[in-house]
Amino acid sequence: MNDESTRPEPQPPRAAPKVVRRRNWLPSLIWLIPVVAALVGMTLVARILMDRGPEIVLTFKSAEGLEANKTVVRYKDVQIGTVTHIRLATDRSHVRVLVQLKKEASAFTAQDTRFWVVRPRLDTSGISGLGTLLSGAYIGVDAGTSEETSGEFTGLETPPIVTRDDSGRQFLLRARDVGSLDIGSPVYFRRIKVGQVAAYELDPDGHGVTLRVFINAPYEKFVGVNTRFWHASGFDIDLNASGLKVRTQSLITVLIGGIAFQAPDDQNGPVAGENTAFVLASDETTAMKEPDGPSQTMLLYFNQSLRGLSPGAPVDFRGVVIGEVKSIGVEFDRGERAFRMPVVIQVYPDRMRRRSATDPDARISSFQRWQLLVSKGMRAQLRTGNLLTGQVYVAMDFFNDAKPAKLEPNQVPLELPTQPNRLDELQSQVADIARKLNQVPFEEIGADLRKSLASLDKTLNSTEQLARRLNNDVTPEMAAALKDVRQTLRSAEKTIADDAPLQQDLRQTLQEVTRAAGSLRVLTDYLERHPESLIRGKPEDKQK
Amino acid sequence: MSDPGVETAAALRLVACHHCGTTWQGAQDGEACDRCGTRLHARKPDSINRTWAYLVAAAILYLPANLLPVMITKSLLGTQQDTILSGVIYFWVSGAYGLAALIFVASFLVPLFKLTALVLLNITAQRRSSWRQLERAKLYRILEVIGRWSMLDVFVVALLAGLVRIQGFAEITAGVGIAAFGAVVVLTMLASLSFDPRLTWDTGPDALAEEMKMDNEPI
Amino acid sequence: MKEVPDAIVCEGCDAVYRRVRLRRREVSHCPRCSTELDRHPGDQSARVLPLTVACLILFAIANLFPIVEIELQGLSNETTLAGAVVALSAGGMSPVALLVLATTLLFPLLQLCILFYLLVPMRYERRPAGFGVLVNALVALRPWGMIEVFLLGVLVAIIKLSSMAQVIAGPALWAFVGLTVLLTAVLSFNPRTFWEMAFEPRPGQDG
Repeated sequence: MNDESTRPEPQPPRAAPKVVRRRNWLPSLIWLIPVVAALVGMTLVARILMDRGPEIVLTFKSAEGLEANKTVVRYKDVQIGTVTHIRLATDRSHVRVLVQLKKEASAFTAQDTRFWVVRPRLDTSGISGLGTLLSGAYIGVDAGTSEETSGEFTGLETPPIVTRDDSGRQFLLRARDVGSLDIGSPVYFRRIKVGQVAAYELDPDGHGVTLRVFINAPYEKFVGVNTRFWHASGFDIDLNASGLKVRTQSLITVLIGGIAFQAPDDQNGPVAGENTAFVLASDETTAMKEPDGPSQTMLLYFNQSLRGLSPGAPVDFRGVVIGEVKSIGVEFDRGERAFRMPVVIQVYPDRMRRRSATDPDARISSFQRWQLLVSKGMRAQLRTGNLLTGQVYVAMDFFNDAKPAKLEPNQVPLELPTQPNRLDELQSQVADIARKLNQVPFEEIGADLRKSLASLDKTLNSTEQLARRLNNDVTPEMAAALKDVRQTLRSAEKTIADDAPLQQDLRQTLQEVTRAAGSLRVLTDYLERHPESLIRGKPEDKQK
Repeated sequence: MSDPGVETAAALRLVACHHCGTTWQGAQDGEACDRCGTRLHARKPDSINRTWAYLVAAAILYLPANLLPVMITKSLLGTQQDTILSGVIYFWVSGAYGLAALIFVASFLVPLFKLTALVLLNITAQRRSSWRQLERAKLYRILEVIGRWSMLDVFVVALLAGLVRIQGFAEITAGVGIAAFGAVVVLTMLASLSFDPRLTWDTGPDALAEEMKMDNEPI
Repeated sequence: MKEVPDAIVCEGCDAVYRRVRLRRREVSHCPRCSTELDRHPGDQSARVLPLTVACLILFAIANLFPIVEIELQGLSNETTLAGAVVALSAGGMSPVALLVLATTLLFPLLQLCILFYLLVPMRYERRPAGFGVLVNALVALRPWGMIEVFLLGVLVAIIKLSSMAQVIAGPALWAFVGLTVLLTAVLSFNPRTFWEMAFEPRPGQDG
């Protein structure tokens, strides 16, 4: 409604109408809106507060890679908390990191929970944590199982080798020394890595080392009570009377050492339980050896040179190793006024009886056994094991022409009679060599040699003739050839000259190349500005 | 065209309070309104001069606002500087035609339009021209409505700078151009507020005489 | 000076008209320049207060919670309005940061608070202290609250970012949307109504 007229003086006031106030529904309903807004706000706040779990403090040596309100705590790649504050400890020796855990992560306050910072890392088990180069470091957790909770934890500086939820089993290995092993050294089964060394420590009495190895699931079932463990580090070189043997597990073991295990004949036996102790042998052979049973120390006296015999040399009975030499020495026998060489050997009588009955016959004492054998002619003799190395071993055998000998029953160690190395044995060996030499046809060789010398002479003559011919005929030809070469060079010069057509072509080509490079630069410039064009293409292409 | 049938408050010596809307008679220019205490003015004081001042300043800053970069994007692929127009081109080229048009209109056309419209209004008001008065009045009302929307780009840059701060990947910072642009928007808004639309209707010699009594803009 | 209660002056062209009492939903325009002269306040006076309260709550949510969150290759970042302002000022653009802060936080908040402060006593028909100054401030602040422009700016920024990263809307974004809608209703309230409301119960006066 519009009006155009107006009066300069105000009109006299009319009577004021009655004002009735009507109660309206609408105003009360309108209050729903702020109520709804308030509810929404409160639910948001409540959700955040309820989502909050406990607050814990972690101490680390440094806060490298950690950022307040940014760095998260992850367990199995799920975020369970965030770093809220990072403070320097009052004595400046470490850093205190305050972490706010989520509600569902309140279980991570168990006292034996472990925390560490996941950063790119290179250690004996390999490279880990590369993803943090892009996403930033985060704090890793290993959940604890303790009943007690704690609010403060000391963070680990390096990630633990074995976390609690790695399934598998731990075993103890006793060894003389650690060798080249370290934490993280691999454990192999049939050349597959199935576990690693978790920790090692010196035995309290100092007589050995106990290693703790962790075999991952599902391989822990291959460790039975009969399993043998051995050092698989590096090369396993064995050089002895039986020859040269080289063995190795893998390149890693060459570098950082490793352990391998297997059960002899694959008879694992029942599966070994957690923390079963095994002996760590120094190599596979030692590991796989049958337990030797009781050993018997015996003494042998030789009157000949012991050159080539070293401790550890085998004691052999008809090819079967039944013991080893423990030590050698020299003795001056006052009574006989002569030198004799005592050799102490260790014999495992059980080895001699391997193929017979399993139950050792207890009724016959070991002394009686040896006596029987000696009476039958068993003697010890030194024999050359390896013509190449000159190694000597002790052989036990029955000798029909042996001088009768008696064993002293109460001698410790028991002395066995010995048999000197027979001369005709040596003779036969020499005779063998002589025969072989005989068979060499020296005369024929000599005749052939003479013939060769004659022909060699002829060859030399013809060579002289050749040289003469070269001088007379070939040289002038060579001079002519050289002249031609010079001519060719001159014409080549002309071709390469400035105005030569070849050069011009070359120049043209270069120009083309420059042009191409120019357009390439434009392309790279464009790509720099619009990298998405690599994927999406230039915009003009879209409109096609 | 002056309407002889319409009486202006100036002719009737009436003044309306700008804030409470009460009409007063016999009030002195600059006197406080009895109701709300605001100073009463027949016309906005020194409107034309002030408008010119704001307009000139806005026009001067309009050049750097469009030539200097408003947004600097640092990413793995290098640093990229964007002006308002290059941002529009980027949107256009990547297929977001609607967005390109929106930014172009809001950040380029609207301030330009405001500047030219206010210059036009001020010139015609200064010359007391009666050319197309109704259109000019409508023009002023349009300016009041659309003025604030040119702040769009400032908010876009502010939000992007606050959001894209990922170390090592991408980082957006505001460039100097956006400060100039913000200044242009503020200045044009102030110019629009200081311009008195009633001046478009002040034509004719009688109006001139009345205004001279009212201690207003010089000729 | 003497009040001329039945005359109303057009703000656009200075023409004088008779002040006509409007009925519900009626608006009067100047016939010469079609500027709006007067509008009936309607039920607005009863509606404005609850809407103001709702706006204040939404305002709190919009500023305390993050607006959007972007995620790129596992890295994420989120910001509130204040965070964006701080980022601007940290980059050296302090005047721009101040401008953004003023137009999106300070001025709308001031308008809401003033409205709330004025409306509550009005229900009990009491004029609070500083009434005049505050109503004038309300009128002055009217053109400088730019939350709806901010919302559009946020949308543009989201569209621009969605091409390079994953964008997740935060609770503050929805609060801003609601705030824009409600603010339009709240701020369409004519401050001049305040003067009329204030003088309603006064005896012997004609509206």
